[in-house]
Amino acid sequence: MSGYTLDTDTAKDRLRAEFDRGRRTMYVVWQDTGAKIGLIVIAVFVFLGLFGPYVAPYHPIEDTLRQGGSIMRLESPSATAPLGTTSFGKDILSQFIAGARPTLIIGLFGGLGTGVVGFLVGLTSGYFGGRVDEGLMRLTDLTFALPLLPMALVILSFVTPNVWIITLVLVIFLWKMPARVIRSEVMTVKERTFVKSARARGAGHLRTMFLHVTPNVLGIGFLYTAYAVGWSIVAGASLAFLGFGDPTTTSWGRMLEQVFRSGAMRVAWWWVLPPALGIAAVTTAVFLVGRAFEEIVNPELQTETE
Amino acid sequence: MSFRRFLIKRTLIAAVLTLVAVSVIFATLRLLPSDPFSGLVASGALTAEQVAELRALYGLDEPIYVQYLKYVRNLFTLQFGISLTQQRPVGEIIVPALVNTLVLLLPALVTTAIVSSVAGMYAGWNRGSWFERIGIVSTTFFRATPVFVTGIFLLVIFSYGLGWLPAFGMRSPMASPEGYVETYLSVDFLKHYLLPFTATVLFYSGDFLMLARNSVVERKGSEFLMLHRAKGLSEMEQLARAGRNSLLPLVTYFALRTGMLFQGVITLEVVFAWPGIGRALVQAILNQDYPTVQAAVFIMALAVIVMNLTADVAYAKLDPTVKAGDV
Repeated sequence: MSGYTLDTDTAKDRLRAEFDRGRRTMYVVWQDTGAKIGLIVIAVFVFLGLFGPYVAPYHPIEDTLRQGGSIMRLESPSATAPLGTTSFGKDILSQFIAGARPTLIIGLFGGLGTGVVGFLVGLTSGYFGGRVDEGLMRLTDLTFALPLLPMALVILSFVTPNVWIITLVLVIFLWKMPARVIRSEVMTVKERTFVKSARARGAGHLRTMFLHVTPNVLGIGFLYTAYAVGWSIVAGASLAFLGFGDPTTTSWGRMLEQVFRSGAMRVAWWWVLPPALGIAAVTTAVFLVGRAFEEIVNPELQTETE
Repeated sequence: MSFRRFLIKRTLIAAVLTLVAVSVIFATLRLLPSDPFSGLVASGALTAEQVAELRALYGLDEPIYVQYLKYVRNLFTLQFGISLTQQRPVGEIIVPALVNTLVLLLPALVTTAIVSSVAGMYAGWNRGSWFERIGIVSTTFFRATPVFVTGIFLLVIFSYGLGWLPAFGMRSPMASPEGYVETYLSVDFLKHYLLPFTATVLFYSGDFLMLARNSVVERKGSEFLMLHRAKGLSEMEQLARAGRNSLLPLVTYFALRTGMLFQGVITLEVVFAWPGIGRALVQAILNQDYPTVQAAVFIMALAVIVMNLTADVAYAKLDPTVKAGDV
């Protein structure tokens, strides 16, 4: 029986095989023009998220730009401020660069958390079936019924929001999406012969779940993790835009909130466009990569590619 | 399991789910550390006794479980209580807001469901064509971009840049229409309607296009289409038959989306200052107006649950390969 519980050597071996498969998949995704552009946008975005504060010419909140003693309020782009200034005299380029970080944190961790929780719930639910399945699926029904944005607003109205709390709230409301899809995939995989023979040879539940079922649904899991990154960025930006973001940091959603509330949107296109284009570019990039990936993962879409 | 039993079971589950959802909403709101009246003492506007009187007037002094039972009992008769901050029945606040939201979103959803589904089927049929590629990339852009960002782009271009359309609200400040007909059937309303309508249509288009395209791609190459080709039907006639067989996921998705319409699109309503239910909800949350928040979230949850049930039942009824018990 020793070989038929989950031990580290087999796990390592399987992981290496999965990585190889992942590399080949990435190579195919790279052939898609849309996905290629998307991956480049994501790379730039991740760079800004990691190093933004060191690259930005000014501090996004503390530095106030002045010219001849007076604060530069709502100035259109110039040599001092390449993207103009806000109505409080802050440099928009710096705010844009620094604003990538909260967006990256919420997107990355919200997406990963949603993917992992959803995957585990879906795997458990689909693998065991019966009462476990019934209970977990009613739980997803409940989170489907409670509307995401309104509930998030209610919760965030009585705690002081910071990026980590916002990320947590998003995971609580988003895990249901991958969970349902993974569950139905697992339900078809577990009826296949190789799973049954593994069980017949005495493989434990854990080993069967993670070594025999998981590799067959991992692709879909990654796909939904990618989409969850997109959803998290959208939801995080929406919350910030409604004034429920982290009040101490600059994010793209918060920049949009400020330009909207101050009424400067009417004239200050240089203040509106950078954060709006930033959000649009990153979310579109994530979804384009996801779509290209889906063409590979979803076998039913492949029938035509002779 | 017979269809009847399936129906009864599903309905019961939906009812229990509604009750649990309502309880979660109630519990979450009672976790709030204060109510709108505590601020009045701190600011010195009222004495502590006066506030206690006010709280008694609204039933906030009763034990939590009594409040809960009363709340649930009143939901059965659709009585949502009195708004804490506006001193009028919650129904009077919620219902017109809900109507405004649905007037905006329902036509947009129907439009995009028809147009994008047809476009998606055409794209799936002509796989690899430029139409398919452009269709996918552009709808992915509008689907991925948060709807309020699309709204902001539209505002910057058409309201502020070109000055063609008004930016805020549902009617001009001077207009004071009476009754539904006058409110929703006027040129002034149409001008205010166009931008948020366009943003919504673009936002929803992606999902329908991809669903329709994927299910036509899955059907393409199947035997029944080969038979139709052998019979000598034209490309378009074949597509029409493939399309008819791809309708099921679209219908289901349409039902689910309709349920979610009741949530409004909060950010979109804020951007365009559209007096809908999402905006009313944000306002109520900021004012800590529990009865209004409870009622709004209750309606949203109920709509989703009912439409989910409808989608499940429709699926079991319409798809001959799914037996009722499997769903």
